[in-house]
Amino acid sequence: MSNLERDVHTDRVKRLEEHAKEVRIRILDMIYKAQSGHPGSALSAADILTALYFDIMNIDPSNPHWKERDRFVLSKGHGCPVLYACLALRNYFPLHELDTLRKFESILQGHPVKQKTPGVDMTTGSLGHGLSIGLGMALDGKLAGKDYFTYVLIGDGELDEGQNWEAAATASKYQLNHLVAIIDINRLQMDGFTDEVMPKYSIADKFRAFNWEVLEMDGHDMTDIVLTLEKVRLAKRNKPVCIAADTVKGKGVSYMENVRVWHGKVPNEQEFRSAMLELKGENR
Amino acid sequence: MKLQQAVKPTRQSFSERMVEYGSINTDFAVFEADIGYSTYTYLFGKKFPKRYFNMGIAESNMVSAAAGMAAEGRTVVVSSYGVFLSMRAAEAVRTYVCYPNLNVKFLSSHGGVTAAIDGVTHQATEDIAIMTTFPNMKVLCPADSPSAMKLLDVALETPGPVFVRLMRDPLFDVYSEEHEFCIGGSHILVEGNDVTIIAYGDMVVQALNAAQELGKLGISAEVIDMYSQKPIDKETLLKSIKKTGAVIVVENHQKKNGLGYAVPHFLAKVDECVPFAHLGLDDVFAESGNYYQVIDKYGISSRCITEEVQRLMKRKG
Repeated sequence: MSNLERDVHTDRVKRLEEHAKEVRIRILDMIYKAQSGHPGSALSAADILTALYFDIMNIDPSNPHWKERDRFVLSKGHGCPVLYACLALRNYFPLHELDTLRKFESILQGHPVKQKTPGVDMTTGSLGHGLSIGLGMALDGKLAGKDYFTYVLIGDGELDEGQNWEAAATASKYQLNHLVAIIDINRLQMDGFTDEVMPKYSIADKFRAFNWEVLEMDGHDMTDIVLTLEKVRLAKRNKPVCIAADTVKGKGVSYMENVRVWHGKVPNEQEFRSAMLELKGENR
Repeated sequence: MKLQQAVKPTRQSFSERMVEYGSINTDFAVFEADIGYSTYTYLFGKKFPKRYFNMGIAESNMVSAAAGMAAEGRTVVVSSYGVFLSMRAAEAVRTYVCYPNLNVKFLSSHGGVTAAIDGVTHQATEDIAIMTTFPNMKVLCPADSPSAMKLLDVALETPGPVFVRLMRDPLFDVYSEEHEFCIGGSHILVEGNDVTIIAYGDMVVQALNAAQELGKLGISAEVIDMYSQKPIDKETLLKSIKKTGAVIVVENHQKKNGLGYAVPHFLAKVDECVPFAHLGLDDVFAESGNYYQVIDKYGISSRCITEEVQRLMKRKG
């Protein structure tokens, strides 16, 4: 066991698992209050974002525009409740703002908006642009001689958009070794399983073909997530990194897991209560 | 007004000024989509290789990446042909550049049918309509090399997105170096009393030639170079039509949603109803061919302007 592995096996992982639980509760709560949103998509990325925002990323919530900070782009913008929950829990803005999700004049728009929400590094929502945006940010870092990392979280469904592969080629050309694309592979997109809507084949092989370094991880195993993300930061390389994360859409709420409709459906009162009980661990 | 045959197209002058400006502003970057020798951005790349990025034949990725870089505070000039920037990359321009109001400047070559010889696939004849519709976007189109060079400075010094429509072929030099340009500006190139001719880009020269012909027919035409299509110079426009009492807009663009829609829309709002005519592509695609033959066939040559103004004079009574 390496030092790193010993390190993550301690309280660090336990602490992050507790945060992830809180993030999931906030996701459900804000979507229920908004009566609108994408619970399945947000839940699938909850553990990854928790690791990034509560541990891995070099950020300062009191100074969201800090030049040296790590950048984060949520390419699958519809999953934003998970981002909003992380930002609020990290004090980028007051927790009560979460109750205004998708409401009139809220700072929390239906999809992330840079100029409205403290901590949102870039506007996203139209799928397939996030990797291009992230590579622009990473290119700027390289040009400015800064060593921050740019993380882009991409849904497996949105890989249907060809622009991802334009971005993959460009990031590779400019050897953007501080650009990290995390693919949230939950195998479901809006109309059904990815294999039925548009087969993805091997996402890892595709990125390898574009000369990216590819790592694979279990997107819900906090130890694996932290180890993988740490490995990315420590190793030296001259190419961008793709992390193919194996995930479950709706993870944490059993009736939502791997069920298509929960991409963008709001639970009714009974469903909401049962989800909250499950997330709080009170019915186990 | 005496016109000098130009040796350079505006795409070249704009890029040459960009190289000069690269020493004044040492921060901005230039993104190119594999047509750097056509847009002349390769000159910038030669002088400032670290700030020049050839993003390949992938315009939408290029614009999204420019948005990412501009989100970090750096100005990015994005170069391509108008037909690709305004359509292939339209969503990235709207959602990721205009919505966050980022400092991305568009060097958009081959405006209108000036890419005549290349055919419809390379003619940008809807770009003004598309770009002027996006909130926060400013749209400029210089008529000649001196104004193209001045507008490079204006574009880089104006906060937020700016789209600059440039031409493929050398035309005529209308301006000297003393003229100044700004967002929302225009220039009255010929003063007249009977009709106001509003043009931009390559149509300015056609308008000037028409004004000369009309003079011979006893019609005194005022010619305005409305080089800023968004915002438009309302003050100059209003003053001119109050004097002349008739207006014609000529544009190398689809009539629909071009400057010829913005002008009467504004005039109607201020209750200034004067006889109005509009020349442009009349809901049709043009074709390949010699530039002068194409603009004449599609109704925007000086001959067409002269004829239309005569009809307009009859309507004016």
